[in-house]
Amino acid sequence: MITITIAIVAWALVVAFLAFIAGTFEDLESDVGSQSNPNSQVQLAAQVGYVNRFFNKAISGEPPAYGVYCAVSAGIAWLLLSNGLAAILAIPIGAGIAAIVHMTLASTAHLGRVSAQKRFEQPIYMDVFIRQLLPIATHGFIAVLSITTICYIQASVMPEGLQSVFPMPLLGLIWGITIGSIGSSVGDVHYGTEREFQDRPFGEGKRVTYHGKITRYAECGIRNQNDIVYFCAKHGGPVTGLVFGSILLFENWRSLLGFMIGMTPEAQVGWSIGIGVGIVIVLIVINYLLVGFARKKYGEFVGE
Amino acid sequence: MDLIILFICIVAGGILTSLGVHMMPVGGAPAAMGTATGIATGVTMISTGAAMTGLFTASTVETMTSNIWLVVLSGAVGSMLMMAFTMLGGNIIYTLAAGIVPVSGRVDVDPITKRPFLPFKTPQTDGHGTPDVSYISGVIGAFLGGSGGALIYYGLVNYADFSAPLAGISAMGIFLTNAVLSAYNIGGTIEGFHDPKFKLLPRALKACFIGSLICAVFASLISYAGGL
Repeated sequence: MITITIAIVAWALVVAFLAFIAGTFEDLESDVGSQSNPNSQVQLAAQVGYVNRFFNKAISGEPPAYGVYCAVSAGIAWLLLSNGLAAILAIPIGAGIAAIVHMTLASTAHLGRVSAQKRFEQPIYMDVFIRQLLPIATHGFIAVLSITTICYIQASVMPEGLQSVFPMPLLGLIWGITIGSIGSSVGDVHYGTEREFQDRPFGEGKRVTYHGKITRYAECGIRNQNDIVYFCAKHGGPVTGLVFGSILLFENWRSLLGFMIGMTPEAQVGWSIGIGVGIVIVLIVINYLLVGFARKKYGEFVGE
Repeated sequence: MDLIILFICIVAGGILTSLGVHMMPVGGAPAAMGTATGIATGVTMISTGAAMTGLFTASTVETMTSNIWLVVLSGAVGSMLMMAFTMLGGNIIYTLAAGIVPVSGRVDVDPITKRPFLPFKTPQTDGHGTPDVSYISGVIGAFLGGSGGALIYYGLVNYADFSAPLAGISAMGIFLTNAVLSAYNIGGTIEGFHDPKFKLLPRALKACFIGSLICAVFASLISYAGGL
């Protein structure tokens, strides 16, 4: 019989808040060094004659990349923790080493991709390359630090009932892949649809004829990644954080509610399953209303 | 006897995975630019992300109870929750940040809510966002995918004598095998069960059956050798 104490609720809330931060910074990191699907346009830009000063990173795509960073970080943190180091040192050291791995992968990715575009006369701008490495590392560090802390809480600190049977490195891999797929499907839309084609009309999907012709001259001269990340930090990043934070919050909440209501372990799990289905039905209704709101407010497509 | 049930669990889990992956609406790279309907990630990775969330929940439940239905259903519901939030987050960005109405490019009218798509679609695109039919298809797909992953995990823990972490990473690997085979079959983008590409499903089911069988052979070999 699992008793709901203030400790278990507090740790569940901490996990949700850390997830919010992790999600925000994961998306912003993929904006400060162009990664994942919108980077396909940066890649295409040189090929259609749009020489640019973007950091063409694209390490594999976000889910496997974050799987690597978080698994490395959680693995090293776990190793240091088993050797007696305190968590407050072990976790940042693990995240720091993952940041070094991240910078290595970013460098090889950028240099490899851009040197392959030599015949399209896209130069490797050394100032872009050197200067962006640190913002990429710092944004990634915060995301990886948050995920590693979540793994630590779930593996070691969380009271009985919500504690995970998986060790820290495996949890790092799982949450890394999850946060990468969420960041890729939520926040990258803001980068790819809105900011990357800022000079196209607002309020339409980007047509196939626009592909590759990204915005290069912008508010403060020639556009670079820092212009992108400052814009996406206003909408895309926080929404990504909200999604990942909500997922972890509602997962823990429905489990805790099930523990409270049910009398036997089977009943507790059954209740949490039922509550989960109820939450999904509410989300389906919210999506229906959101789409209806957009249809009514924006109206039919105008123009050709 | 244990061996037969292990094989059934892994193969059934693989089939469920394949079916689930085909139902998830994936727009891939074009969707991130508002050129295609669905989630703006690759097929394999979004399905793995959803199933891993489900696997995490299922592994915690498995320590509490050994009932197969409860473990598989918790994996399914965990995966469903992740997918529902992700698609809703994507739609928030499409509607509020980019000013786009979610519509499908493959059909003119929503098969479930009967709302028309064609007047709202941007020309020279293949739809954008995640409309209601794709949303519901994605939720069902995540349910099936998560249950497949949880079933594989359940089989490995109870019938192959794997420890929980080993079973976790093996379940991830077997899930990825089936997800990648299905992704090859889909060929990039799919909008859900209303998409004509959905009719290619039997091909992937046969491939995933064989793939899962091979994985099950390896799992039983490792189990026979006493675990890693």
